[in-house]
Amino acid sequence: MTTEILAVALKEIRQTRRDPRTLAVLVVAPLMQLILLGFAVNLDVTHVPVVLADADQTAESRAFAEALLAGETFEAVAALPDPEAAAAEVIAGRAAIALIIPPGFAAALRAGRAVDVQALADGSDAQRAVVAQNTLTAFAARWSLAYSAATGQAPRFTQAPVEIRPRVLYNPTLNSRVFFVPGVAATLLLVVTLVVTAMGLAREKEDGTLEQILVTPISSEALMLGKVLPYGLIGLFDLALAVTLGAAIFGVPLRGALPIVGLGGALYMLTTLGLGLFVASAARTQQQAFMGAFFLILPMTLLSGFMSPISNMPAWLQPLTLLDPMRHMVEILRGVLLKGASLADLAPQLLWLAGMGLTVFTAAAVALRKRLA
Amino acid sequence: MSGLRAQGLTRRFGDLLAVDGLDLRVAPGELYGLVGPDGAGKTTTVRLLAGLLRPDAGIIALDRGALGYMPQRYSLYGDLTIAENLTFFGRLFGLSRAERTERAQRLLRITRLARFHDRRADALSGGMYKKLALACALLHRPAVLLLDEPSNGVDPVSRRELWDLLYEFVDEGMAVVLCTPYMDEAARCHRVGLLHHGRRLAEGAPAALVAQLKHPTLRLQTAQRDAAERALATDPAILALSPEGEGLRLVLRAEDQAATRARIEAWGTLEVIRPDFEDVFLALLNDPRSVEAS
Repeated sequence: MTTEILAVALKEIRQTRRDPRTLAVLVVAPLMQLILLGFAVNLDVTHVPVVLADADQTAESRAFAEALLAGETFEAVAALPDPEAAAAEVIAGRAAIALIIPPGFAAALRAGRAVDVQALADGSDAQRAVVAQNTLTAFAARWSLAYSAATGQAPRFTQAPVEIRPRVLYNPTLNSRVFFVPGVAATLLLVVTLVVTAMGLAREKEDGTLEQILVTPISSEALMLGKVLPYGLIGLFDLALAVTLGAAIFGVPLRGALPIVGLGGALYMLTTLGLGLFVASAARTQQQAFMGAFFLILPMTLLSGFMSPISNMPAWLQPLTLLDPMRHMVEILRGVLLKGASLADLAPQLLWLAGMGLTVFTAAAVALRKRLA
Repeated sequence: MSGLRAQGLTRRFGDLLAVDGLDLRVAPGELYGLVGPDGAGKTTTVRLLAGLLRPDAGIIALDRGALGYMPQRYSLYGDLTIAENLTFFGRLFGLSRAERTERAQRLLRITRLARFHDRRADALSGGMYKKLALACALLHRPAVLLLDEPSNGVDPVSRRELWDLLYEFVDEGMAVVLCTPYMDEAARCHRVGLLHHGRRLAEGAPAALVAQLKHPTLRLQTAQRDAAERALATDPAILALSPEGEGLRLVLRAEDQAATRARIEAWGTLEVIRPDFEDVFLALLNDPRSVEAS
């Protein structure tokens, strides 16, 4: 059994080494994607383009606008005298916020009267609009307090009797990259291992080599283990590289024990590699295998909680996500890297992966034997 | 283990009955030819025997651990070299390094592939590729070897070498089932089964089958070969008709040969000739009882 597994594994390694394209798919592409996606998948709201319509044109109105734009959140793209023209900029998509300071802004402040500053937000990007709105409200309150204090007026805004002071654990700056990079790593591992094994076995079918193997005494389990072993090792290498790069480039912390990530990765790949074989045993050609793999990857990614929290999904859908191996891998990665979770904390996820991995792998072996005998 | 035995082998593909109740018995040291036109069921039979297809009915008795199989289509790793392909299949058959090396060297020597050992399989000519495929199938010294049209797309020299290699192993006691549509190849087998529409029409040693043909074989000398062929093609009393040189080669139904001969002689002169294996086969397609039961 061991000899046969090794014979198949050695053959796979030899073929992969001889095919630079597969090698590139296995190692270079995931890393490039990790870096690109790591930068691209970013929900932090900064540099929101603002068009300013200051109808007051006083020292106060300019001070208000300058203080607002001094932060990271907003960035002025234009200053127009006319509120209508400013709104048009938002409609045209050149700005996300039109900030309209009315005439009499300074006069009202000096008289101690309340004054409305209008902010028109582009709601087509809901996330950005909400964050911008909250930031603006908080800013206006802060600025008003500071103004009152500086001018010696009685503060119109006092501290509320109850105040919530949130403290964000694990990711105190709410840096969304720290949250997303582990998810990206799990996605890449899925794509690489699923597609490569599905295509690899389908290719043996297409080339007729599988028939030649099947008349040898090798068992379908040994054949499959031999076929996935090299890609599993490459996958673990990719995972290690992803964690390293995540830490080096995106500042993803490393709070827990890395061996747990390794164990999780190995169990995770048992399912993804097994799924690859399963897809290939149903497919006749490499194209069919590729399509099959593709149809698995999208729902698995969406249901993993990598992009949107599982708690936001409809109640009937949430239990189904337990069947998504990627969900467990994302939780393991986030747990270990961000929270320093222990083996005991992640036991459920690891057990889910182990159970699914064995099931999928056995099913794939049975499917292969059935197809050909 | 004594060769191979199959009984009542049957396999359908949808409405098509590809193999229909086939019995087969091949002894050790016997070279058995499954002969028939394309679509006769030869490949299906071999794939059933190899365990790559499940029969709908029938029994197969053979030692799967000692089975060699060479499919008609390409079946080696094109991106591996000759030596690497041999090593890989040797390992799968559980051969030790010493066994692998020794047998691979012998096979490479016989097939004269030794000096190409580091050439990739997809860079080999058709003949060299088939020789390598045969070497891979022979590496573990199978007790039973299944060959599906081994000389398809092979040059005459390589074909000769394939057969030499085959005879060498058959002489050592290997049982071989070989599919071929070529009558000259069939004539080299110890015993043949003539297959048509999944059924066996006749079975026996090629020479014996020729001797048992009960219908006469004749040659027609004529100046109008093509016109004669067109006119005689639909004659129900003519069991086989094929152009040969300037004339035609015919097998006539023995029962009414006098009347038939008279019709044919309108086209030229007739002489009785010795039938060959192809005449037997063509006659069998039209009259399954062309061969007297032995």
